[in-house]
Amino acid sequence: MENRRSTAREFVHGLTALILALFLLGVSSSLGVMKSIVDIWGALLFIPEYPAVVMREMFLGWRSWSRDKDILSAEVTRLKSENATLRLELARVAGERAYSDDMKPDAKTARVTLRAPMSWWSEIRIDRGRNDKITQGLPVFSNGYLVGRVSSVSMMSSWAELITSSSFMIPAVIEETRELGVVAGDGNGSVLLRYIPAGRGVRSGMKVSTAMIGEQLPPGLPIGQIAGEFSPGTDGYATYRIEPGADLSRFYTVSY
Amino acid sequence: MLIILWLIQDLLTVFTGGGMQIPGLFMLGIVFKLLFNDGSDDGSIWAIWAAFSGGILWDIRWIGIPGFFSLGYVVVVLIVIQVWGLIPPQGRESGTGLIVFLLLEASQLIPPAIPVLVLGGSTGWNYFLMQQVYSLPAILLTMYIYVQKLKSINL
Repeated sequence: MENRRSTAREFVHGLTALILALFLLGVSSSLGVMKSIVDIWGALLFIPEYPAVVMREMFLGWRSWSRDKDILSAEVTRLKSENATLRLELARVAGERAYSDDMKPDAKTARVTLRAPMSWWSEIRIDRGRNDKITQGLPVFSNGYLVGRVSSVSMMSSWAELITSSSFMIPAVIEETRELGVVAGDGNGSVLLRYIPAGRGVRSGMKVSTAMIGEQLPPGLPIGQIAGEFSPGTDGYATYRIEPGADLSRFYTVSY
Repeated sequence: MLIILWLIQDLLTVFTGGGMQIPGLFMLGIVFKLLFNDGSDDGSIWAIWAAFSGGILWDIRWIGIPGFFSLGYVVVVLIVIQVWGLIPPQGRESGTGLIVFLLLEASQLIPPAIPVLVLGGSTGWNYFLMQQVYSLPAILLTMYIYVQKLKSINL
């Protein structure tokens, strides 16, 4: 008996709630006051909802920042690649110009008369001397690229120290990045560019020429191009291998 | 406790900005309480009007037209009272896992289905289906808590 009464009470309350909900559903859309109630309830909930709003804005801001960062990073990578390509193209044009300058009519040539096996990568003798206005420190070229400089002059001949000599050290610049370093030979046929700060975006193919801070050599004389990183260095400076523009194994004459 | 659940549900909805359908934590709480109702009609009646009130407030906050969720919530409470009432109190503690799951699932299925059925639209159905997926972990968690509570009562 008690249980039945209890069920009846639940039924009455449930039915009342259902009818009320249906009534509200039916008439509330036509009640003008509903908009005000919605606004008031929204305003009341503003305070408890505020942390969620702040967190949502933070999350959206972080997501937007992350997305923008990815876009910018991709753009920077693209621009770097484009920049490197343009610099290489510029260097190629500059190299061609240097080559043509070397081929100009007033360039004088000298024949290599001695290249001793014991000092194969260190020095050569040419058949021009003081009588031909050769002076100490004068740069000599092959194929438009620096191969060395005159180290001693006599009346009829001169000795030129090659860029592969271990005692050959001249200031040089990477044309694309304007990074300054020192070009030095290792005495075994390799030419290195030393003291370039690590992580400066130096890439293979970039042109290397003499720097204007040299005491004897004029700036802008083409030497060759970066062939790759030789050693990253432990002191923050990297060393790069240089591929000389001149073929140091096959040159019989030099220009000056 | 139900007020806190309602607020959590509301805060999560604010946080997701409507982009993700939040499980009906409020109704899970009501069904959970009804499952442990000792059979007194006061508990059932209280649940009916709590569900009605919570539904009205939810409608005003998120739908703009009161009646949708309040109707759904009350329907769910009546179903739970009737179904759970058919099982004798002595038999409710074992072998009723599937029934508990279905009752909890009904609390997540019926209320959001009403506005979709009335208002229609494919977007509404998509949101409805998404909510069912997101509700499943909440239902399973509620079942886990239900089992743990049963164990603690029987100890």
